[in-house]
Amino acid sequence: MERRLQQAFFALSLLALVLILAAEWQASSPSWKNYQRKYLQLESEEEPNAASKAAVLATPLAINQAILPGLQRVDRCTTCHLGVEDPTMKNAPEPFRYHAGLGPHVPSKFGCTICHGGQGLATDMKDAHGNVVFWQTPLLPANYIRASCGRCHKEGNVPGVPELTEGRHLFETEGCHGCHKLNGVGGSIGPDLTEEGANHRSPQWLVRHFLAPNVVSPGSAMPNFHFTGEQARALTYFMLSLTSQDMGSYYSSMQLIPSPEFGRQLFVEKDCIVCHAIGGVGAKSGPDLLAVTKRHSAEWLDEQLVNPQLVYPGSSMPEYDLESNARKAIIAFLASATREDAQEIMARKGHPLTPEDAAIEAGKQDFARFGCAGCHGTELQGGVPNPNAQGEQVPSLLHVSDDYTKDEVIAIIRDGKVPPLDNPKGSAPPLYMPSWKTVLSNEDINHIADFLWSKQQKKESW
Amino acid sequence: MNLIREIWRSIVRRDPLSTDKGKSELVFLNVWLHIHPAKVKKENIKFRYSFYLGFITFFLFLILLTTGIALMFYYRPYPSVAYQDMKDLQFAVFMGPFLRNMHRWAAQAMVLCVFLHMCRVFYTGSYKKPRQFNWVIGVMLLLLTLGLSFTGYLLPWDQLAYWAITVGTNIGSYAPLVGGRLRELLLGGHTVGEAALIRFYVLHVAILPSLVILLTIVHFWRVRKDGGLSRPLWKLKPRKTEALVTIGAPAEVAPLHVAAASPDKTYGLMEVVTGKPIFETVTPEEEEDTVFSYPYAFVREAVALMATVTTVMTVSLFFNAPLEEMANPAITPNPAKAPWYFLGLQELVSHSALLGGVVIPALMVIALLAIPYMDRNPSRRPRDRKWALWVFTFFVVANVALIIIGTFFRGPGWAWVPPWVHVVARPE
Amino acid sequence: MNRRSFMSWGTAGVAALCSAVGVSLGAVGRFLTPSVFYEPPQTFKIGKPADFPFGSPTFLVDEKIFVFRHREKGFAVASAVCTHLGCTVKYFQSDQDFHCPCHGSIYSANGTVLHGPAPRPLNWFEITLAPDGQLRVDKNKIVPPTYRLMV
Repeated sequence: MERRLQQAFFALSLLALVLILAAEWQASSPSWKNYQRKYLQLESEEEPNAASKAAVLATPLAINQAILPGLQRVDRCTTCHLGVEDPTMKNAPEPFRYHAGLGPHVPSKFGCTICHGGQGLATDMKDAHGNVVFWQTPLLPANYIRASCGRCHKEGNVPGVPELTEGRHLFETEGCHGCHKLNGVGGSIGPDLTEEGANHRSPQWLVRHFLAPNVVSPGSAMPNFHFTGEQARALTYFMLSLTSQDMGSYYSSMQLIPSPEFGRQLFVEKDCIVCHAIGGVGAKSGPDLLAVTKRHSAEWLDEQLVNPQLVYPGSSMPEYDLESNARKAIIAFLASATREDAQEIMARKGHPLTPEDAAIEAGKQDFARFGCAGCHGTELQGGVPNPNAQGEQVPSLLHVSDDYTKDEVIAIIRDGKVPPLDNPKGSAPPLYMPSWKTVLSNEDINHIADFLWSKQQKKESW
Repeated sequence: MNLIREIWRSIVRRDPLSTDKGKSELVFLNVWLHIHPAKVKKENIKFRYSFYLGFITFFLFLILLTTGIALMFYYRPYPSVAYQDMKDLQFAVFMGPFLRNMHRWAAQAMVLCVFLHMCRVFYTGSYKKPRQFNWVIGVMLLLLTLGLSFTGYLLPWDQLAYWAITVGTNIGSYAPLVGGRLRELLLGGHTVGEAALIRFYVLHVAILPSLVILLTIVHFWRVRKDGGLSRPLWKLKPRKTEALVTIGAPAEVAPLHVAAASPDKTYGLMEVVTGKPIFETVTPEEEEDTVFSYPYAFVREAVALMATVTTVMTVSLFFNAPLEEMANPAITPNPAKAPWYFLGLQELVSHSALLGGVVIPALMVIALLAIPYMDRNPSRRPRDRKWALWVFTFFVVANVALIIIGTFFRGPGWAWVPPWVHVVARPE
Repeated sequence: MNRRSFMSWGTAGVAALCSAVGVSLGAVGRFLTPSVFYEPPQTFKIGKPADFPFGSPTFLVDEKIFVFRHREKGFAVASAVCTHLGCTVKYFQSDQDFHCPCHGSIYSANGTVLHGPAPRPLNWFEITLAPDGQLRVDKNKIVPPTYRLMV
């Protein structure tokens, strides 16, 4: 017995020794070391002589990481993806391949996961690529990575990502705001979408949801908008980009990319054509702006936009309160602006609006911006299904003047309205008119009423 | 060489272990080994009697202490970085996962072993006079162990931690009058947040371990003073008041005065080894029943230690401690469950908050503490205390059953879902 | 039972246990060795040349460097870490020298020790112009005090 116990003690101590060695072995052979060795092998093949080959192979192995407090993350992807910034690795096998077209988005400043998704802190492939339980942002499928551009570039055109621009545009024009809140603005019938990009839904789910809301989420109050596949993809891009995460000053300064398209928009908005001409088209009170970027440096033009009198004492150009990216955008537009651009801008300018027309126009904008169109239709035609409401659908607004006075309509917009039930014993219809008084000013509501009245049609007589 | 020998002799002051004197000295000249007397009763060291559960619990605590201190080097108790530190332990720190696994699994095992140890002490009646208060200390240690495990549960700051602690602390808040205050005091706020994290951290790494160490010392000391490890008394023959024999007396010395052994006196070997001409006097039956602590007791304890350590290491090598996504107060997992040892409570709470969350657990703790004082039956023989055994068994089984129900049979919305049924999440 | 072999199993057990503990201690050493560093990199960009004034040096707190911009002589970067015991030195424009607040070391404007206990002159770091037009400092590359970057 005693001998047995001593033997057991010996055996268990030996087992402990073996276990601790096993644990050490397990810990000292992580997969990233294999990748780094392979990469060094690959690099050493380029070296001319044995000595430099040996020197490359002797490089110590270490975890590489980009510490990104501004993006609130630490990315270790370059521990294995070693050739990301090395153009000679253009044809190297993954994970060593060069990442072309990074532009300013260098890993040391941006990391990888802000665009690609995945788990930046992880150091083995499965965990890093994020297709593991308890990690909710796996790598985005390749054709959706560009949606991430919208996480920092929250406004304007994002060059190379037309889907994002299209998605934002659809969101505004289709009246999504009517039901969904985004950054605090919008209705409360559907879920808040401010964090939708951080909600870790797969792009495939979102696309299917946009094509047929009721199939993916049974019982959803969301009407089927009959989006095309492309539109659903564009909206998915937009959804994936939505996050309220604070991106840090460096990153958020690029909310708006100074693209020529945006510059053109500003050029129209600020009515530059009132004083300036491009290639002779436009007004003559200021200098002609054709090829102005060839005559002056970008710095000079920037200074001019900030403080015209400083550069040209006595200049009659007003000071515009433009932020630096907006100035850059205008300069970018001017670099490529042609006579044809000016002609088009002039043609669209049209005539000044009367106060009445202006009110209707403002109402039209509000109608679109606050999402009324989501249920009532862009043409006020209504018709979105709404089970158990009278008529089983959202009413058309083309004939409200027959049933209501303008003041009654204003009251309905202000205080909301639950539609009368078709079957009094049935459940409440999913869609209802919310109260807008906390969101819209009285002026806004009046404008919307003006807009509605401008669109009224006479009911066909009996 | 002489110097080396001198140094060695200054460290190891005992006689060679081949002599009985050396074996004795090994024990009581050593601050740690002195936990035993030089000789112990054979019955004391029987595995089949105590299962070494107390030792195993203590060894688990030692594992927790060492791995815990190691983990502290890489842990900052602040929400966002706490989770990042867990990921660092998982992915960047050498042997980080192994140490964290050891800490996690040893913690779970310790809760289990404390409970089993308590059951053993009850079933053998070892809490009876004079050990009543040591039982009370044992119950306090059980509560402290639960507290340690509970406070440690929050530290990874993942969803599992966040919601287990949210649910767990809410169970306590059902206590009338003080419940809400107590929760506020524990969390440093009304929800689990950064204040709660630092409070749990301080409790987990400083206050509770210190209390456990202090009480463990008292617990051990009292066991030693109350006649050593508990043993099945009823197996001993009744004492006889016969003349004693003297053992090991030098032949040339005149026979010593022989006195009848008093049943109230414990006879030790101290006199022998301190060179005083008094020799241990024991009854022949007792002499047959004792063995030297070295090696008989120590080798068993060493085996228990190594078995505990290797088991924890093996489990840690193959099973990773859970780490879910980062704590998110906006998303409650369904169901949100407390740590497993509180799931019995949660099950009770699901039926009645006040009764299940406060009254029953409070009564249970009070009853546990009062057991040695309520049980006036002096006998430790199982056949004399059937009633007590049945009542205790009932509570043990009820507790285990509730925990099993809460752990395996409760699904989303705390609905009855057997483990073999797969629940598909309700679409949003 | 053979007493000798009876004991030797125990001794072997103790030996195995000791080696397990020894290996564990080594493992703890490796556990405590940092495998990643959460600190500013040794090579970093500090901005465009136009961001720095002429004359008195610009002190960058996080990087602990002085950036000198001389009208004719160009850019130079001095370490602000005293070579004695690592305190951060201060530059005095009036006397054109560096003072260490800890033990009174004084360095001249080009970093040489004017007054002890500093054992060595201040370090000067390499500064280069990156392709994107920003100045880049490499703390790993120590240069002579005469090193200048002309922009």
